Amino acid sequence: MAEKGEILMEVKELYKNFGVTIAVDHVDLCIRRGEILGLIGENGSGKSTITSIIAGIHQATSGQMFYMGEKWKPGTSLEASKRGVGIIVQEVGTIASISVAENIFIGEYKHFKKGPFIQKKKMNREAGEVLKNIGVEGIDPSKPTFTYNIEQRKLIEIAKIMAAAPELILVDETSTALSESGRKIMYEMIHNATQSNKAVVFISHDLEELMEHCDRLTILRDGKVIDNIERNNFDPDDIKRKMIGREMATEYYRSDYDGYSEEVVLEADCITTMENLLCFNLELHKGEILGIGGLSECGMHTLGRALYGLEDVVDGEVRITSSNTVVDRPDTAFKNGMGYVSKNRDRESLELDASIRANIQSTGYKINRILGPFISSKKERDYAGRQVDALEIKSNSINQPVRTLSGGNKQKVVFGKWIAEDADILILDCPTRGVDIGVKAAMYNLIYSMKKAGKSIIIISEELPELCGMSDRLLILREGKISGSFLRSDGYDNEKLIEAMI
Amino acid sequence: MQNPELLKKPGLTLADRIDRIKSKNSFSLLFPFIVLVFIVLLFGVLTKMEFYKMSVIISIFNQSLIVGTIAVGVSFIYSTGDIDFSVGNVMGLAATIGALSYQFTNNMVVLIMVTVAVGTLLMLFNCTLSLIFNVKSAMVAIIAMILYGAITTELVGVDTLKVDYILCRALESDGFRYVSFILYFVIAVVIFHYTAIGRKLRFIGGNEECAKQSGISFRKSKYIGFLIAGIGVGLAGVFQIARSGSVTSSVGSGMGMDVMLATVLGGMSIFGGAKSNAYSGFLGALTVSALNKGLLMVGISASIIQGVRGLIFLLLVFLNSERPSTLPSRQQF
Repeated sequence: MAEKGEILMEVKELYKNFGVTIAVDHVDLCIRRGEILGLIGENGSGKSTITSIIAGIHQATSGQMFYMGEKWKPGTSLEASKRGVGIIVQEVGTIASISVAENIFIGEYKHFKKGPFIQKKKMNREAGEVLKNIGVEGIDPSKPTFTYNIEQRKLIEIAKIMAAAPELILVDETSTALSESGRKIMYEMIHNATQSNKAVVFISHDLEELMEHCDRLTILRDGKVIDNIERNNFDPDDIKRKMIGREMATEYYRSDYDGYSEEVVLEADCITTMENLLCFNLELHKGEILGIGGLSECGMHTLGRALYGLEDVVDGEVRITSSNTVVDRPDTAFKNGMGYVSKNRDRESLELDASIRANIQSTGYKINRILGPFISSKKERDYAGRQVDALEIKSNSINQPVRTLSGGNKQKVVFGKWIAEDADILILDCPTRGVDIGVKAAMYNLIYSMKKAGKSIIIISEELPELCGMSDRLLILREGKISGSFLRSDGYDNEKLIEAMI
Repeated sequence: MQNPELLKKPGLTLADRIDRIKSKNSFSLLFPFIVLVFIVLLFGVLTKMEFYKMSVIISIFNQSLIVGTIAVGVSFIYSTGDIDFSVGNVMGLAATIGALSYQFTNNMVVLIMVTVAVGTLLMLFNCTLSLIFNVKSAMVAIIAMILYGAITTELVGVDTLKVDYILCRALESDGFRYVSFILYFVIAVVIFHYTAIGRKLRFIGGNEECAKQSGISFRKSKYIGFLIAGIGVGLAGVFQIARSGSVTSSVGSGMGMDVMLATVLGGMSIFGGAKSNAYSGFLGALTVSALNKGLLMVGISASIIQGVRGLIFLLLVFLNSERPSTLPSRQQF
């Protein structure tokens, strides 16, 4: 019988490069049964690469791994999953077009075969049980997966991993896609797993979360292991310092109480959408940072889309007040100086196969013209280059495809694109999702300086500290309605905010 | 994070080395040119310099002209990640109506104008259908192919439509073809690579949703793409009339596939996106006709040529295929 403390997975001298980029540089790791090991480091420090090599998604360039004392070199994640190593990936890990049950039992269909046919009913029933076991409600296993939102799909993915009864569970930056209740389910799952002497590797950018749940932390920087720290030696400042390699200001939100102008720049006049919103009113002022928070299903993401003309507004209208323009299409919004950062970065905010440069310059086709319709390549290069320098986007060259960047650097590219365009009204949906503290601080700084320059910004977020830290005014939504409105000048009271949310 | 030493690291397998070379940016850009130059050099040696005669070179150019012109135009559609393989039939119908208009008016200018206009209108019609029904142009193309083919057959009848021989000689030799092709080619390349139009089309091909959110109007861009493609297809119709002096009912059928093949051989993905360009199709068409001519000249029989061509294409497509090694993909399942 497996005992607590026994070594489950050992990684020795793991090395991986992508072209000239070294992602993992001779890393040693030891994962013990009954233990939650946290991996922490800045964006691009190699966390995801290590877990994806262990899970068979990628192959190491060199180095060795041992799993239960045997040599471990899975060729695919399916092979790894069959032998007890499951991974929850950072972004979408489910197939949208097949049913929930088919996702949960992917690769295991033969268990449900009767003759040449698959017994769908049996599969659905068992999938329902798996979901119930981890405490997920409100998901019908027979429905196609695309009918569920990102958070629910993440929970389906967790169910999929658990259905394979893994010995080693790798959780790659999943918390940011989950709301409070979703996180609870995940924490419960990993603690249950370690109690039955399985092991968990947990990646997150949220240091507090890691310190709360992990037994041991491994700090990575530039693909190297910097330190291993046991639970009783956890010290946030020490960990941050080691992650970044320098001293770090503890406070990174704005500290002022500057107000905003009375002038309304954008208003939603009793807008109703197909889902979530019913006669919703909103005013955004010049120089204001307006925070919008709530539980993930409260309609705030729909609101952000509707304000940018991405959602069908069946009644009422969104208006830009200065020109009295009705925003009903994204190109109208864009033309009138609005910008939008989607929550779903890879799917909606980036052209992954295109270069950093092509992505950033996509907002500047007009600005970078030189003569009539002709675009100056030099102007474009400068346009993108300025953002790469200012945001310190880690890359080998400006022509590197965005797909090869780490999550945080991708997010910087999205930010750069809109900053370069100098949008007057910016709608940011979960702008710091999956981004490490260094980058976060830079982004908060940017948002603040944009406010100073008279821009108006809407931040939609599931993180209360971020909303409290940045907003001039904070709206809490519940079931598509404003359930609470708070002002920075009055000070934000966490309890009242949470009360408004639930 | 950079380590130039890595490129020189010993102990790599051949596959690794090929992959490494293939993943270089400059490789995919240069590869189609290298293939063309290689073919030209190879057949130059094999035919003891016969291959470099002016007449041979002109004939290769002429053969690639029709497919090449269409391919340049259609690259404006391919780059958005969409395909329209009815272009051959569009060209056929445009040529038919153009030839008919000549029979009525006996005017060369009318023939050219009508052919180009019909080609353009039909392509815009395809585009409109695809937008109205909200389906990919590839779907529309299936229907358009059958429809236009049928109309062409009906118009041409059992006979072939003859066009005045003297007119065709004039169109063929008076430099009209070269001037109009080069003009079209240069304008297309400039529009594609030096204005927002090309960038927007590529962006749509790379990520349609993201393009929308960045203020690009999908409808407008798509119409512009089809407009430019239509002009190219119409122009190719004029070349077609000039070349054969007549129009048959089967004119242009199957050419949609030749265009696709030429585009792929020229180094562009027919799935569009960031690496699209406007010249690959013509480059590929040149490669195909150089290969055809060369194989014929070294005395390989026509039936074997098909097989040899197939093998060579397979090899080229393999070498040209995209398999980039990247950081962890976020969409594993």
